[in-house]
Amino acid sequence: MEAASVTRAPAPNAPAWRTNLATIAALVARAKNELLRVPGAAIPGVLAPTIFFLGLNGVFGSLIHLPGFDSGSYESFIVPVSMLQGAGFTGAAAGVNLARDYEQGWVDRLLVSPAPRWVLLGGNVLAASARAFIPATFVLAIGFLIGVQWPGLDGLIVCYLMVAAMAAVAACWGSMLALHYKSQSAAPLMQAGMMALILLTPAYAPLALLQPWLEKVAEINPVTHVVEAARQGFVGSVTWGETWPGLLALAGLLAVLGALALREMRRTNA
Amino acid sequence: MSELATGARVVGALGARSIRQTFRRPQLISPIVVFPTLLLAIQTGGAGAGIALPGFPPVQSFLQFMLAGSMMQSMMLAGNSGGIAFAVDIEMGFTDRLFASPIPRFAIVLGRLAGTAALGLFASLWFLAIGLIFGAHIEGGVPGALLAIALITTSAIAVGGIGAAIALRTGSASVVQGLFPLVLVVLFLSSAFFPQELMVEPAKTIAEYNPFSFIVEGVREPIISGIEAKQTLEAVAAIAGIILLGLWLSASALRHRLRTG
Amino acid sequence: MTAIVVEGLERSFGEVLAVQGIDLRVEEGEIYGFLGPNGAGKTTTVRMLTTLLLPTGGRAGVAGFDVVAEARQVRASIGVALQEAALDPLMTGRELIRLQATLQGLPTAAGRKRADELLDRVDLSYAADRRVGGYSGGMKRRLDLAAALVHEPRVLFLDEPTTGLDPVSRKTIWEEVQALNDDGTTVFLTTQYLEEADQLADNVGIIDRGLIVAEGTPEELKGEVGNPHIELTVGEGAVPEAERVVAELGKLRPRKGDGRVLLEVENGAGDIPRVVRALDEAGIAVESLELVRPTLDDVFVEKTGHHLEGEDGSGTEPAEEEPAAT
Repeated sequence: MEAASVTRAPAPNAPAWRTNLATIAALVARAKNELLRVPGAAIPGVLAPTIFFLGLNGVFGSLIHLPGFDSGSYESFIVPVSMLQGAGFTGAAAGVNLARDYEQGWVDRLLVSPAPRWVLLGGNVLAASARAFIPATFVLAIGFLIGVQWPGLDGLIVCYLMVAAMAAVAACWGSMLALHYKSQSAAPLMQAGMMALILLTPAYAPLALLQPWLEKVAEINPVTHVVEAARQGFVGSVTWGETWPGLLALAGLLAVLGALALREMRRTNA
Repeated sequence: MSELATGARVVGALGARSIRQTFRRPQLISPIVVFPTLLLAIQTGGAGAGIALPGFPPVQSFLQFMLAGSMMQSMMLAGNSGGIAFAVDIEMGFTDRLFASPIPRFAIVLGRLAGTAALGLFASLWFLAIGLIFGAHIEGGVPGALLAIALITTSAIAVGGIGAAIALRTGSASVVQGLFPLVLVVLFLSSAFFPQELMVEPAKTIAEYNPFSFIVEGVREPIISGIEAKQTLEAVAAIAGIILLGLWLSASALRHRLRTG
Repeated sequence: MTAIVVEGLERSFGEVLAVQGIDLRVEEGEIYGFLGPNGAGKTTTVRMLTTLLLPTGGRAGVAGFDVVAEARQVRASIGVALQEAALDPLMTGRELIRLQATLQGLPTAAGRKRADELLDRVDLSYAADRRVGGYSGGMKRRLDLAAALVHEPRVLFLDEPTTGLDPVSRKTIWEEVQALNDDGTTVFLTTQYLEEADQLADNVGIIDRGLIVAEGTPEELKGEVGNPHIELTVGEGAVPEAERVVAELGKLRPRKGDGRVLLEVENGAGDIPRVVRALDEAGIAVESLELVRPTLDDVFVEKTGHHLEGEDGSGTEPAEEEPAAT
């Protein structure tokens, strides 16, 4: 048999934007496998924020009686924090999964393809955003059962928006560490980092009631605006004035951490 | 006498091994030290205004109040971590090597517990140091500090025994790891982080009867006011109860493992 | 056209120079076998050529594109089946190939069709909807190979494609590689198995400790190290006499420890009758006789002073043998 001509034209491809979108969608679809195909995989991500929500409410619920607490109920005050914590855990878990994929060689398959690096990262991050809806909804459902007040549709939408974006921020953080250390042993750093970011805010009490050192830290922590924005509907009404700082903070964090994660992705072959 | 001496040497050797394992791998230390310290900072900073609530025990600061709870948290995570390490030994086959050696069976479990006790000791020293650095007084002075350390160290043995029993029974590190949320639940349903009288139902009632509340109160009292016989005895009784439970569960799991292989 | 060009390629990890400045060329349509022991630098070289690792010195071009400056074009032109068989145990075989098709930019419908074709080609259609985690080692390698072919690459990189496989699975992979090459695909294959390089490769490069120590066709390389030799097993005590008898018919080599007589001959099998006759006339009974041709391991020993395989127990491929003619 004669060898066929070896000069091959590349296969005719779809336009780049469509290919990139299809790749992101395929990576998100793969990410859902762990939830659907590993029994109980979703449980840790849901259990941790739920335990924190119920635990914190049971332990610190009396703080609501302190002068300076505008909110009617402590559970309404902290439920958005627990939802954001769930987003933080989910995003960090995406980082741990990426580290595991790297250790097992899967990431090589992605890196050796012609897909742009931002597309590969984007798939991981978007999957985390989507996945964060699960713990957030579970915590909220439990919250409603124990008396959390209805935030209004606008409050709910703003809160979920903050949750999804926070998960993306956490996934960028986790991915950056995963690609830098190339090992799952960086997992505690991924989780602790997000925990610190979300809780060094008016998470447990309003800004004015925080200890002076934490008040100062919370004032400069951009996630304070995210917590305040997510909390609005649960403690009062939603205003653009309370919302835009949260959006800006998330956009800033995504830009910075996203850029760092992308840099690590591009440097995997260094 | 000679068997006891052999047993003691083996316990020492296995204990040293389990301590080395933990301190050589930062990802094992981190949950025991870093998370509880982070949580201590966040909770004292965030909920510290709570000391102004009517009914809050007289304390110098919320930090002073919280130290005992952080030590408890760290100690319990050390117990969970010891259980995980024991289960990994079982999965790897290392315990088979021990079972096949001419050493007393109890030494295998006690060796692991010695390691956990050392971690408990480390945790208590760590948080006492943190407290002193950030201005908390130990009202009971040196005797008070020593009592707190002793109670935490023996609690670590108690909780470690439960962890070892679960490891022996299941032989699976991921099962033991999956119990980590339970540690948090037990702590939240105790007076580790807030006075039991000021907690919200149903946590308040559960905390009233939770043996870990007795332990944490026993550790807390020497720090915030001084050594009190009642709290100390209640803590000792709770620890003794958990030790007995852990011993019974471990012995039963050990027999089961040796029988079924 | 040259499919792969490498000039002075180097890679260091801290103080360790894993690849010490190598040159090689692979023509289009060739199967190039890159042979060397564990730790020689084979995988490091492949990772540089497939853009997974940046060189720290030198240059390389694959399918006409520079691996550093035009990395994306390189990735679009190559197929890669890596040593770790980078597969996701939770995906099915079909899902994996479809994902690979998407990564390579194939439109959805074309990708699905291609996935079905390839699964059929590597004989995995029956297991296509089963999770990869349940596949055997051979099935995983076949799937990895299929994934590497999804976009009809011009150059295919196979990093130790049959390491750890049973002989039947190994043979299946060899047949597939040969078939691909018959269709015109250039194949760059790394291996630690002599037989694999010998069977498949048009050209072989032997690498040891980061340097290419020999390059050529398998026959050229083996011809460089000399002639075949006959290994004779004679009765106990008869060895010195047997050596004296056959010494005139060729060149004696040092005995192997078990007392076999080794005689290097120029004419290969053609010299066997003379040797047998001489021993027969001398009354020496021959228990067995083998004609042993030079192997690539002999080439390796000649160039490096140590064996390619067998020293660490890896790859115990038998040397080529002719049946005894007594």
